[in-house]
Amino acid sequence: MSRLNDILENKVMPAAGRVAGQRHLQALRDGIILTMPLIIVGSLFLILGFLPIPGYEDFMARTFGDAWLTKLMYPVGATFDIMALIAAFGIAYRLAEKYNVDALTAGAISVAAFLLATPYQVPFTPEGAKEAIMVGGAIPSALMGSKGLFVAMLIAMISTEIYRFIIQKNIIIRMPDGVPPAVAKSFVALIPGFVVIALIWVLRLIVENTSFESLHNIVGEVLGKPLGVLGGSLIGTLVAVFLIQLLWSCGLHGASIVGGVMGPIWLSSMDENRLAFQADQAVPNIFTQQFIDIFIYVGGSGATLALVLAMILRARSQQMKQLGRLAIGPGFFNINEPITFGMPIVMNPLMIVPFVLTPLVMVVTTYIGMTTGLVAKPAGIAVPWTMPPIIGGYLATGGKLSGAVLQLVNFALAFGIYYPFFRMWDKQKYSEEQGAIEITTAKKLQA
Amino acid sequence: MNILLCCAAGMSTSLLVTKMEKAASDEGLSCKIWAVPGDAVKNHINEADVLLVGPQVRYLLPQLKKLGEEKGIPVDVINTVHYGMCNGAEVLKFAKQLSGK
Repeated sequence: MSRLNDILENKVMPAAGRVAGQRHLQALRDGIILTMPLIIVGSLFLILGFLPIPGYEDFMARTFGDAWLTKLMYPVGATFDIMALIAAFGIAYRLAEKYNVDALTAGAISVAAFLLATPYQVPFTPEGAKEAIMVGGAIPSALMGSKGLFVAMLIAMISTEIYRFIIQKNIIIRMPDGVPPAVAKSFVALIPGFVVIALIWVLRLIVENTSFESLHNIVGEVLGKPLGVLGGSLIGTLVAVFLIQLLWSCGLHGASIVGGVMGPIWLSSMDENRLAFQADQAVPNIFTQQFIDIFIYVGGSGATLALVLAMILRARSQQMKQLGRLAIGPGFFNINEPITFGMPIVMNPLMIVPFVLTPLVMVVTTYIGMTTGLVAKPAGIAVPWTMPPIIGGYLATGGKLSGAVLQLVNFALAFGIYYPFFRMWDKQKYSEEQGAIEITTAKKLQA
Repeated sequence: MNILLCCAAGMSTSLLVTKMEKAASDEGLSCKIWAVPGDAVKNHINEADVLLVGPQVRYLLPQLKKLGEEKGIPVDVINTVHYGMCNGAEVLKFAKQLSGK
């Protein structure tokens, strides 16, 4: 067992530290977080549009007119559908911050470069025509959303790298003395800005002569598809969840570290589901951000709410009883640091076993439940990870009871796996406490 | 004394904040204690006398230590067991030791 600790401490931890400290991954994660408040607000409107109450649609149509749903979806379009645009800005901003160069300028250049990579045309089917024609003079909203996310990520990284490289090499236009510093500062961005824009422009011109036609298509083929397969498969998800659990077992924030890589993938599959849900079509993807946050991590990474309940109901040792009471409140909001560090699970081989096993089992059961159609798939509604269970499952599936039931089933499953391990640990703590009490009473008797 | 805490989202450390505030008022200390996400630290560090890092983001420590050195503010990771059990008194003691007050 101490060999496990040895491996965790000497192999996993340093590697995780390097990955987590990697500035591009950090910028990716912190930049994409900027889209979160927006899409959560958008989700609120999405839920309002599809409340599963009988007669709701008729009532809304009578009260607000036939176009009520279209109007209610305006904010959805302005939040979900600019995900890539916001990410292009956010990632560049966060990366520039890490290089200590002007973040706002880097963000602006990145947005411009992202738009430059996007052909300003949208397909339009005129009345009576069979095939769509391309109409110019419009920014395609589809590519501003999740479909453009990978392009936005790449461009934000490339443009900010160029920007900071040129600034750090001090290749800037110098103003003579006497020019106000604020004015001089506005010229600093000119050379790097020009280089970035020119580079993306040339890239676009080259790509337009190939069969790909646009940078979006290339990135979709080369990056989007393989990543989609990785994130959309059972194996890929099991690996991701295993890594999250392994990192937490060393006491590192696994979800935050793995999220840097998996976040964009799960986010774009979430948005694919949202588009289908909004159009009243069958939801395509199972593995989205909500699959992980809501259905697997009931009570926090490792699905530890079941463990907290075991503590409250069955703990004999004072320490576990006390910890259970402390952890139940945050646990309802899927925060479980009191458990991971307090029990502790971190570096505790006995508890690491169920901690890793439970979510893996739950991924499989949830996957089976959703592929067989017993349970609704996540509807692409961005339910925040802090949403308490039952409500979370109900909302994430777009108001399906099966979502809430699935959370309960997973909870029971987690309880079953954790329980024997919990008993062993509790017994150990209990006898330690008894031992300590015996020693102190013995001392008192002697005295 | 101003004590800044940070973790991934600033949520789990905010639990500890309330416990530390209580411990501080029990001791009759007037403290400002608050928790922020890791990426927001640089916007808050100027107001802090000491920065405590949640153990789950200790990979941020090298970065934050460098930041702390620039500002002359001590930075360290919170003991995992004290963190887990939300032991406000112990963490407060640790903060006082660090800042040398």
